[in-house]
Amino acid sequence: MDYDALIVGGGIAGMQSALTLGDMGYRVLLVEKEPSIGGRMILLSKVFPTLDCASCISTPKMATTAHHPNITVMTSADIDGIERDTDGSFIARVRKKSTFVDPTACIGCAECERECTVAIADRFNFDLIASRAIHIAFPQAVPKKAVIASDGISPCTYTCPGGVEAHGYVSLVRAGLYEEAFRLHMKDAPLPGSLSRLCYAPCEKQCTRALAEGKIEIRGAKRFMTDYYYDRHPVPEYGVPADRNGKRVAVVGSGPAGLTAAYFLARNGYAVTIFESAREAGGVLRDATPPYRLPRAVLERDLHNITALGVEIRTRTDVASVADLKAQGFDAVFIAPGTMKAKEIDIPGKDLGGVVDPLTFLKSAIDSKIDLAGKRVAVVGGGSVAVDSARMALRCGAREVDIYYRRSRKEMPAHETDVQAALDEGVKLHELRAPMRFVGEGGRLTAIALQETKLGAPDASKRAAPEPVAGSETEVAAEVVIVAVGLLPGADLFPGEMERRRDGTLVTNKETLATSLVGVYAARNAIIDPTMIIQSIALGKRAAFHMDRYLRGESEPASFDLRLPRVTHEEVLSRNAITTRAPEKMRMLDPLERARSNAEIEVALSEDAVRAETGRCLDCGICSQCHQCVETCPADAIHFDMRPELVSVRVRSTLLATGFQLFDARRKPLYGYGRHANVVTAMQMDRLLAPTRPYNAVLRPSDGKAPSNIAFVLCTGSRDCTVDSRLCSRVCCMYSIKQAQLLMGALPLAEVTIYFMDIRAFGKGYDEFFEQAKGMGVYFVKGRVAKIEETTDGDLLVSHEDISGGAGKTVAQHDLVVLSVGLTANPKAFSILKDANVEADAFNFVREVDEDLEPGRTTMEGVFVAGTAAGIRDIPDTIVHASAAALQVAAYLRTGEVNQ
Amino acid sequence: MSAQKIGVFTCHCGGNISDYVDVQKVCDAAAGTEGCALAKTFLFACSDSSQEEMMEAIRTHQLDGVVIASCSPKLHLETFRVMAHRAGLNPHMYTQVNIREQCSWAHRHDMPKASEKAVRLVRAGIARASLSRPLENIRVETLPAVLVIGAGPAGMRAALALSDLGLTVYVVERAAEVGGRIRALGKLFPSGRPGREIVARLRDQIAGRDNIVVYTNAELVEKSGSAGRFAVKVRAGQETISLKVGAIIAATGFAPYAPQPEEFGFGLPAVVTLPEFNELLTTSRECLRVNGRDVRTIAYVYCVGSRQSEGNQYCSRYCCTAAVHAAIQAHEIDPELNQFHLYRDMRAYGRNELIYEEARQKGSLFLRYDGGEPPTVEREGDGLLVRVRDELSGGDSIEIPADLVVLVTGMVATSNQRLLDVLKLPLSAGGFFNEIHPKLRPVETVIDGVFIAGAAQAPKNLAESVASSMAAAANCSAMLLKGHLDRAPLVAKVSAETCVWCGECVKVCPYAGAIVEVERDGKQVADVVPELCKGCGACAAVCPSAAIELEGYTNAQVTAMIDALAAEVVS
Repeated sequence: MDYDALIVGGGIAGMQSALTLGDMGYRVLLVEKEPSIGGRMILLSKVFPTLDCASCISTPKMATTAHHPNITVMTSADIDGIERDTDGSFIARVRKKSTFVDPTACIGCAECERECTVAIADRFNFDLIASRAIHIAFPQAVPKKAVIASDGISPCTYTCPGGVEAHGYVSLVRAGLYEEAFRLHMKDAPLPGSLSRLCYAPCEKQCTRALAEGKIEIRGAKRFMTDYYYDRHPVPEYGVPADRNGKRVAVVGSGPAGLTAAYFLARNGYAVTIFESAREAGGVLRDATPPYRLPRAVLERDLHNITALGVEIRTRTDVASVADLKAQGFDAVFIAPGTMKAKEIDIPGKDLGGVVDPLTFLKSAIDSKIDLAGKRVAVVGGGSVAVDSARMALRCGAREVDIYYRRSRKEMPAHETDVQAALDEGVKLHELRAPMRFVGEGGRLTAIALQETKLGAPDASKRAAPEPVAGSETEVAAEVVIVAVGLLPGADLFPGEMERRRDGTLVTNKETLATSLVGVYAARNAIIDPTMIIQSIALGKRAAFHMDRYLRGESEPASFDLRLPRVTHEEVLSRNAITTRAPEKMRMLDPLERARSNAEIEVALSEDAVRAETGRCLDCGICSQCHQCVETCPADAIHFDMRPELVSVRVRSTLLATGFQLFDARRKPLYGYGRHANVVTAMQMDRLLAPTRPYNAVLRPSDGKAPSNIAFVLCTGSRDCTVDSRLCSRVCCMYSIKQAQLLMGALPLAEVTIYFMDIRAFGKGYDEFFEQAKGMGVYFVKGRVAKIEETTDGDLLVSHEDISGGAGKTVAQHDLVVLSVGLTANPKAFSILKDANVEADAFNFVREVDEDLEPGRTTMEGVFVAGTAAGIRDIPDTIVHASAAALQVAAYLRTGEVNQ
Repeated sequence: MSAQKIGVFTCHCGGNISDYVDVQKVCDAAAGTEGCALAKTFLFACSDSSQEEMMEAIRTHQLDGVVIASCSPKLHLETFRVMAHRAGLNPHMYTQVNIREQCSWAHRHDMPKASEKAVRLVRAGIARASLSRPLENIRVETLPAVLVIGAGPAGMRAALALSDLGLTVYVVERAAEVGGRIRALGKLFPSGRPGREIVARLRDQIAGRDNIVVYTNAELVEKSGSAGRFAVKVRAGQETISLKVGAIIAATGFAPYAPQPEEFGFGLPAVVTLPEFNELLTTSRECLRVNGRDVRTIAYVYCVGSRQSEGNQYCSRYCCTAAVHAAIQAHEIDPELNQFHLYRDMRAYGRNELIYEEARQKGSLFLRYDGGEPPTVEREGDGLLVRVRDELSGGDSIEIPADLVVLVTGMVATSNQRLLDVLKLPLSAGGFFNEIHPKLRPVETVIDGVFIAGAAQAPKNLAESVASSMAAAANCSAMLLKGHLDRAPLVAKVSAETCVWCGECVKVCPYAGAIVEVERDGKQVADVVPELCKGCGACAAVCPSAAIELEGYTNAQVTAMIDALAAEVVS
């Protein structure tokens, strides 16, 4: 048996019961869902009728509970379920939520709070002020440990194939921390300059803002921060890692996959050599990416991120075989040859001069080795490579550039923005045209014979298949045709050394990318266009992860992708009331200006624009994982790889101390809570008055003015059948009178009015407390408030019937209204018990079998209830009830002992 | 001064202290005081994290003593003693200085002077701490038995609970029968069960326990000893029984308020109190008859004997609900009845709201009167005439001819001076037993080991009385089940060398047997029985030969404190 009693809920009732049982010698497990014990009471200002400071009463109970030798406290923990075993004991499954902070390491210094870039409403201050995604619940928290609020991984971050923490750098850019944003990116992927120009940005497609006024320019933010960083750091801030491990890795191919693998391996201390057959490094980035998209200087700077780590790139070097590499002393090999050749088109005339493949064309065009002046250039195909080829043809001086595509524009694989940009620049698009043959004279192309097509049934690619239209043949003149109908993987590297698929590509393990040769890994299926480089980066990163494990001799299988579940758009939208703001868009240079120039055509966002844009981020997952806390934590306590932990405990008895819920004042729309800034709840007023008050003064929210005429509306959500809340909440009269007294102390000139139905000052010293408030000058008006309206200056018009004063229906003006919200049942108590023998009463409180003589005993043997979980009570009554309930538990436990 | 290293920690108490006392100034002054090795401030010294930090400081600076300038020792002395202990320090090397109640709260309009006072108090605290020495707690072996005074539902339920946990229980009841007040009451709210049924159930359960002994016609006449080991004498009939118990629960209940003659017509025929009306309800079938007349109209006057500016100022808590509950029963007996309720605030709190709701649905009419303008009740013809100014109908004066007026009377404390003399329990304003703190220690009294339960503490309904009695039982159990109790060793100590046995100390000692005469080295001297001494210091003050010292407050310590407090005045 692990514990004698499980107590669910660490509020004042749970603590009192735990202490009573602990003092009797029973072993208690106290499970609290919040990061601190103390419940609601610790958040109060002073408590009636003695006006003791709530902290002064709660903190010793909290500390004693936490340090009691017989009490184990688990905070940030949920009960997943409690089941009864055959021997009468219970098995409770406790889920310790992942707070991403190791509580044993955290020293509660709150340094992390200061660095956090995500603001959230401070729920421990009832949303009066902001807190941070990483925070210590409140100053007196027990345990005083930071926790990270997270609803899941943000969709943008979650969706990135390369694991780039988009939300993280967006939130850093929002905070003006551009260099930090860049460094975060470098933690995840090494080619931010290229990505910021080329990436198709799947993150943006997942942006929750897209469901409101429009997605955030996440790529634009990356572009800004990268430019900013590269401007200030022409060379990387780091050099070769000091602690090299002596192992050597060969990477074949210097495209994005190879570069990425080399980068991560080099960071881990490996000596990496990249073998590149071309003259210069970069693969697709160098040879197939037009400079108007990716300026060469940005590419060079991106490459520097890798070479600064000591990665050697041997260009113009062919690798004969893997065996040769091993013979050279490499401990592992990563093969990332990239896209090697273009698909051919098998029609008459394909061997004519002037018929070129796009890779050859692009490479020559980028190197400015082609002059197309006066020539008519035809491009066959509809992908990015086709469009880029067409645009480069323009830049090489072509008289006319025409794209022929066998489907219609909307089926084109190229991105629509690129297609439009090409058209703007002067490229002509001819949809539903397929080449039949290339016509030539003297071995050189003069024309293309085309056939019209129409769209038929979907084919294997799920796009409509083009079908030739009989008799539609035409011929168009052209001196050059670029056949860009697809790319093929290199299938001829290292013949015979490794297993291959039928298409010639290497067989690799899907998870690890390992080939059939031990220690040799390969990027499979690396066919890309430049907008897809994040896929290659992902492969390089994955290979580096598994190669590192292999080289360290780790034999346990491990998964590269350990993403936590993502938050859904619906969850985010239900959490936030969204204010829409006009999005900023990246624009391009004027088409006429750009069409014949190799200058970069996309214009970066200004700093103001990028701040405004990132300011629209909804912080979907809450924590952005910007890692600022990780960087600053002096105790190294923050770990984003922390996962929830499930523990099963066996207990002899269970005590429910799950507390109450506050009535949601929005359910009384006529009172205007949530619409009128100066209508607050009593819980907010208690915070305004507490020793740890958020503003260090009582201010009204709309304009920060010290209120001078405050009203309390009693029975908000109590004794009210219109909101299905018939019961009296017992505490609201008294806490309102308490607040009124404290207000008169804090604001000596203020008038305080309490609108009431009956003043229920029934406890010991309560009526005297009520009389004292009257004596201090608090106005008590018998009459229910009908509605509250707002004036233009934020004051409030309270319509009510003045019964005691005899004024009848009347309207009074106040500058701050406090809704004395009631307390209702917390249905949580029932969801945790698997067998439903614990009954609820008509109001969803836990039913006691005999309220008169058996306080705390529920309808299920061995299950007890303490405090407000069994019905609303004030603090003194709760403490007494919790002690009584603990005694019931003790009597039950002892009966079990005696019977054994 | 000794060479002790003292740590001085000053607490902001949120703003409770720092809003009115310059905490940094206090801290700086402490730092400049001889003996102070470390001075720091804390937002909440009592919070867990602050305690951890202080413990760390005690260990790393190898402090010999600690002074915390914060709130009243009544609140946190024990908290910080435990903290000191956890840090490896003898808990009595800790000194608490109260700069909240004594400075920030007392002088909130004069921050400079409040701060100056705080500085001096802290200096005095350092002076005391510098002369402190480690002391060991006095361990008292406890007795596994409890005396429960009063056999109403609270006392009986507490007895059963204690018996459940294996403790022996002696129940002393002044009346000839157990059951207390509810025996005579009819149906009780909210369950509707008759009081006698509840009594019978409890009585039968007690009869089945061999570790509960009930004495009726009995009362407590003598008590000595201290928490954990009391010796008590109970007079039951002619017999006096000596018992040894570890704890005492006083569950002596309440008395119904008895109206003064002519108070709301009391004394007129057909003007009855609520308990009398309850009896009427238990005996009536089909219609209510009073003085041979059928009752057609009832007027209830609320707050009789409660919430009075003269007399009982407190609210009696149970009566509003009890009255509407009674009205429902009356309606069930005779649905044709007209019932008028003249109330001030309908205090049907919590679920009791449903009872109030039901009474309204069953035709009871409610009229609200102002406490300054109470209704009047007069005889008119054969019947009664009640006049009231009703706020709910716009202040109309309303006359209600009634056949029966029920005075909704509250609860008052039972009067039992003899018991009070024996228990020496302090009373609250209404004459009920007073708890130490309504939230921290709601069933404990200033007399260690003596607990209070039920309506003896304040007006309560049945469920509330039972809950509090079980809370008292829980406290007793937690205290006694361990088998021993550690008491603070701050007791008087006699120097046999100096004592001349003049007997002055015995004369002033309020605790019987705490000072005894013994022979030491051939001479008669006084000696202190540590288990019985409460450390009040009265003996030390009167001893003409200064032979008595109070541990923790030695003459040297107190002199040093005075010197530190008054340094500027003297020099």
